[in-house]
Amino acid sequence: MLSEEFLEQELLKALPKDRNTDPAGQSLANLIAGISSKKVPVNSFFRVWILGSLQARVAFGYLAYWLRSRFSGAEVKRRLKSEAHLAAALQLFGTMGYLRGAVMKVGQMLANLPEVVPEEFAEVLSALHFEAPPMHYSLVREVFLDEFGREPEELFASFDQQAFAAASLGQVHRARLLSGEEVAVKIQYPGIARTIKNDLRTLRLLLQPLCLTKDWEDTIAKLADIERMLLLETDYTKEADHCRRARAVFSAEDRVVVPEIYNGLSSKRVLTSEYLPGCHINEYLQSSPDQAERDHFTTLLTIATYRLYYRLHWLPADPHPGNFIFMEDGRLGLIDFGCTLVLDEEEWRDSNAAIQAALDRDILALNQAIASACRFNHPDDMEPDHLEVIRQGFYWFMEPWQQEGLFDFGDKAFFLRGIENVIEAARKRYTRSVPMTIWSNRFTFGGRAFCYKLQGRCEFRNIFLRESAWREQDES
Amino acid sequence: MRISEQAKQDNRIRILEKAVDIFTTKGFDATTTRDIALAAGLATGTLFNYFPSKETLAMTMVTEAFRQGREDFQRRRTGDEDLAEELFLFIASGLRRLRPLRTFLGPVLERSLSPFPRKSVCQEGEAARQGHLNAVQGIIAGHGFAEAPDYVAMTMYWSLYLGILAFWANDTSPNQEETQALIDYATRMFVQIISGGGPGKGGADAE
Repeated sequence: MLSEEFLEQELLKALPKDRNTDPAGQSLANLIAGISSKKVPVNSFFRVWILGSLQARVAFGYLAYWLRSRFSGAEVKRRLKSEAHLAAALQLFGTMGYLRGAVMKVGQMLANLPEVVPEEFAEVLSALHFEAPPMHYSLVREVFLDEFGREPEELFASFDQQAFAAASLGQVHRARLLSGEEVAVKIQYPGIARTIKNDLRTLRLLLQPLCLTKDWEDTIAKLADIERMLLLETDYTKEADHCRRARAVFSAEDRVVVPEIYNGLSSKRVLTSEYLPGCHINEYLQSSPDQAERDHFTTLLTIATYRLYYRLHWLPADPHPGNFIFMEDGRLGLIDFGCTLVLDEEEWRDSNAAIQAALDRDILALNQAIASACRFNHPDDMEPDHLEVIRQGFYWFMEPWQQEGLFDFGDKAFFLRGIENVIEAARKRYTRSVPMTIWSNRFTFGGRAFCYKLQGRCEFRNIFLRESAWREQDES
Repeated sequence: MRISEQAKQDNRIRILEKAVDIFTTKGFDATTTRDIALAAGLATGTLFNYFPSKETLAMTMVTEAFRQGREDFQRRRTGDEDLAEELFLFIASGLRRLRPLRTFLGPVLERSLSPFPRKSVCQEGEAARQGHLNAVQGIIAGHGFAEAPDYVAMTMYWSLYLGILAFWANDTSPNQEETQALIDYATRMFVQIISGGGPGKGGADAE
């Protein structure tokens, strides 16, 4: 156990310093130490970190610094007032159950921003996901009795009492059906929807010091969209429906598999699907696959995501590494469709208009598409630099679409350019955008971080041309 | 007129069945013993031969549900559970049996299980409490606590349990799933406290 004094010293060293008002970082350290020494009643979400740990305090400190920097231009009186709000808001942070880990990740990300290295950034991006607390078997049995009126042993030939994986809202157990098939059974932690709602309310309060800034409404709209998506995920019948629809758009030749859902053993809180044998990316990379193999899986991943986009108008908005299975026979398994953004007509039209404008190098149309995505009526309403930064980001997104032949997603310079653009946009606070961009960014960066880690290449443009042909078919 | 033991048993069962229906539709407070007697086809005076009061009648249902819950628990426990999990299983099994009575149970439990000093103690309520706590002591002893936990530990347990019952009686979430999360947390917390983990650490680093 580290002493408080040592923690304070380390905290002081680790925190960002404000050259003008707080050159030693002392006032920030005091603020953080004062808050994190206060105890907060924990809820049932046990496994989350302790607010007192140094790592937590540093992440927390960066979050505070980031919030406070929003007032750097304000007069002293208002600054002090906002400081008091900030302290009060940060205290609420400890009461978060489900989202606390994610918010802390944001703090860590902010701490990494100044000298970000792509490896670390990819790590953070790909790890940005949620976990519910572990359930013991007796709790799992209660969920089964409520959902099916039967115990797991009565419904399955065998059922592992220990979970083999954590899921975003619960955990996954392996089991065998009475008919012999191996399955994965996902079970939701009871009452998680309420925790999510409480957390979002806390997060809004936490961010209250930003309410005077010009993008407050934008932040609120995005938080509302996050809440909507998270709550959507709590209904497994919707996910089952997504799985079925996704499964139908891949054939055996595609080498992409979406597991079959077992309806009789699925409900709002329990989802039983075919078990796909294989491993996740880290284990896969440990087997030192050669370039051809890595290219193969990058190709399958690209086909899979753009098939879903063009056939179903979906963005798989949670490209968490655990959702992709590298199967031994060379097929790619796609699991977990809980966080799937289904584009509405307008979003679908706008999304394709931007892509088409970039492909046609039609700068006027592209500027208009960007202005709409950033919630401006016209490109002239945006500061020229704002427009330029976002446009550069979009060009980066479109690079693979425009290159003939193999595109190398493992290219460090390429990946770094994308990250630098995000950092620049964040630093300049060019973050105003329609809520959909949260998910499209997560989709893009999550996917690219994954392919970067995989060091894979694919004929992206060919895949795009082939998959987008569906769109022309649909529309004709 | 003397009636047979069998007829007495039948009457008793009929009264309990009708009472559940009426409590459920009218609520516990609005129901009179006369309503129940009428529905069971008996004179009100006859009903008192079976149950001295409305409270006793309702608590008889609760005691029976607790008894069935204990049986379910014994049947369901695998022996692999740790203490927190076993307590969870015990409480959850009991609540599942109480579930059909849930809509009218609030005032019944409040009157019969209240830990505050009362003029007349409900005998059925007291029996239910004792039965429940004996079972809990047995579970705790089974996990290596040499002495039966003293009154402090059991008072804390009972307070937690009454809190869970009160929350459950008001829980509007589907299948009272929020109560399940509460039991999960409450049982972990109780085990942590009696294990000497202590509330001082705030429980954040349990396990």
